[in-house]
Amino acid sequence: MTRPVPRQWSLQRRLLLLVLGMVSALWVLAAGVTWYDARHELDELLDGHLAQAAALLVVQQAAGGDDDSIADAPSLHKYAPRVAFQVFHEGQLVMRSAGTQSAPLSPLNTGFATIRLADGNDWRIFGAKGAQNDVQVYVGEQIAARNEVLRAVLRSVLWPLLVALPLLALAVWWAVRRGLLPLRQLEGALHERQAGDLQPVALADMPSEMQAPVEALNGLVARLARMMESERRFTADGAHELRTPIAAIRAQAQVALGAGADTVQREHALQFTLAGCDRATRLVEQLLTLARVEAAPAANAAALDMAAVVRGVMADLAPAALARHQHLELDAGTGCLMTGDEVLMGVLVRNLLDNAIRYSPAHGQVRVQVAPEGGQLLLRVEDSGPGVDDEAMSRLGERFYRVLGQDQPGSGLGWSIVKRIALVSGAGVRVSRSAELGGLAVDLQWPLAATP
Amino acid sequence: MRVLLAEDDPILGDGLRAGLRQLGFQVDWVRDGLAAERELAGGAYAAAVLDLGLPLKDGLDVLRATRARSINTPVLVLTARDAVPDRITGLNLGADDYVVKPVDLHELAARLRSLVRRAGGQSQGILHGGGVSLDPSARQVLYDGVAVALSLREFDLLHALMLQPGRVMSREQLEHQLYSWGYEVDSNAIEVHIHHLRRKLHAGLIQTVRGVGYIMPKESGA
Repeated sequence: MTRPVPRQWSLQRRLLLLVLGMVSALWVLAAGVTWYDARHELDELLDGHLAQAAALLVVQQAAGGDDDSIADAPSLHKYAPRVAFQVFHEGQLVMRSAGTQSAPLSPLNTGFATIRLADGNDWRIFGAKGAQNDVQVYVGEQIAARNEVLRAVLRSVLWPLLVALPLLALAVWWAVRRGLLPLRQLEGALHERQAGDLQPVALADMPSEMQAPVEALNGLVARLARMMESERRFTADGAHELRTPIAAIRAQAQVALGAGADTVQREHALQFTLAGCDRATRLVEQLLTLARVEAAPAANAAALDMAAVVRGVMADLAPAALARHQHLELDAGTGCLMTGDEVLMGVLVRNLLDNAIRYSPAHGQVRVQVAPEGGQLLLRVEDSGPGVDDEAMSRLGERFYRVLGQDQPGSGLGWSIVKRIALVSGAGVRVSRSAELGGLAVDLQWPLAATP
Repeated sequence: MRVLLAEDDPILGDGLRAGLRQLGFQVDWVRDGLAAERELAGGAYAAAVLDLGLPLKDGLDVLRATRARSINTPVLVLTARDAVPDRITGLNLGADDYVVKPVDLHELAARLRSLVRRAGGQSQGILHGGGVSLDPSARQVLYDGVAVALSLREFDLLHALMLQPGRVMSREQLEHQLYSWGYEVDSNAIEVHIHHLRRKLHAGLIQTVRGVGYIMPKESGA
């Protein structure tokens, strides 16, 4: 979300440019074809006219031009300088158009030729002979005249394009914008949403292209909603769970205040007040731990020696067990390497052991085994407590679920923490009755990490 | 006044029991829903404080079952669940009051007294009868406007009788109202307390219905 998009591009602009580019290219192509076609037709037509005019002159000369003087035809049209003709009779120039040179226009006696003449222009010349070979006629036309016609044709094709292009751009822009309307509506709908509004986006009149992404978005929203609901419930449950310890502290403190001269009762109530504070503290710590575990799964996974982790935690908890005259025992194998976060693993082992010590009776027994077994790393915690029945076993790990009939003031969160850490570290968890100690046996298994 | 306390939390239960005792209640404490239901069915309590999150049987289920048996002991629900729908459910199921933890002990006691008073058809805090006025919250008794010193049991006995004027209370009923569990009650204890009350106040205040029990006559006038 915070990563900057390297280059913003707009679907609208892209569509606009593509459509306009395509239309222009096609139009230019069409103009090219038209040019080529028109030029071909025009050449044929005008060449035909040249030939016709030449034939006319040949026939006229053959019919009776015996005059040896040169006749210069008058120039009668503004286009006249662009056409030219010469009539030779027995090698003598007898007739020519105005301003035309005396030398023959073309080196070829018959047929078409394109030549640059002395006046510097390109000419199309047709030569023809009379039947007795005494008459030679040349008829010519400036190429420039032809090109002008062609240019006019081309202009008539391209002009509309130039005029239409901006109009077309406007039309395409409008059409694209209208086509993208559902996208903007979606954007608007999402934009106006409150942060907490996790209703799915309505799909009613959504184009088919947008169904899939919107469905995916709704899937994400639904997952988010579930997550937020779980968070909300967690917070609410947590707050409720704190009410009871606080109520207990308050009641005991009031009893101590009201004890008057009864020092035994006051002493008792104050002791219980402290116990209540300890319990509330523990509940808060557990809540914070759980929140941390849920927020940052497997943060710093690295290869670690589980036996060392267990040893450290046991050293911490040993005084509590000894105070209750419990027998604490560790059976650690070698090569207990696994991949995990050292802090999280410590929290996990601490919660397991804490439960075992808490729920084992005085003079009870708690045994921890950690060893590689069949390619897996096995951690087993057994105690000589009362264990739990099948129904309770299936409910262990529900937040704030506490096994009935316990005088131990647990928070009901220890198992949630254990299960969560087990999940993010990829451990399998199995709860059963300890065959040897009679209480609860908890097995956790991770893949062994390779020995470095 | 004897009340039943149903609370599974050991520290809170202990505190409430001790606190209510300080404020003059006899308290029996049960820690699960089945025990609460059983004790309520016994019917010997002036009122009950019921936690909702009880093991074995949820407090609301206990309440439902108790009301289904037409047991009308006033029940004050004490709970951590404070959402309005929870309160409505609780009250609809027959709770007489709904208090969210944590609660002040004096407030709890006052609410309990109020419940008991209303259950006895009285709406005023101070009870009057036979020239005697009794203030449950101050634990004070006036006879002809003069304060009379009564022992704990004497006060509770007078309170129980004044709550139900015109009704005969058997010796067993009165014993149940006065003594919580664990007290060995002498067979003539009630008789002795009645005797003391008649002596400290006046002889005609409490009448004996031979073979049945004791009665505080209903006020005919002022």
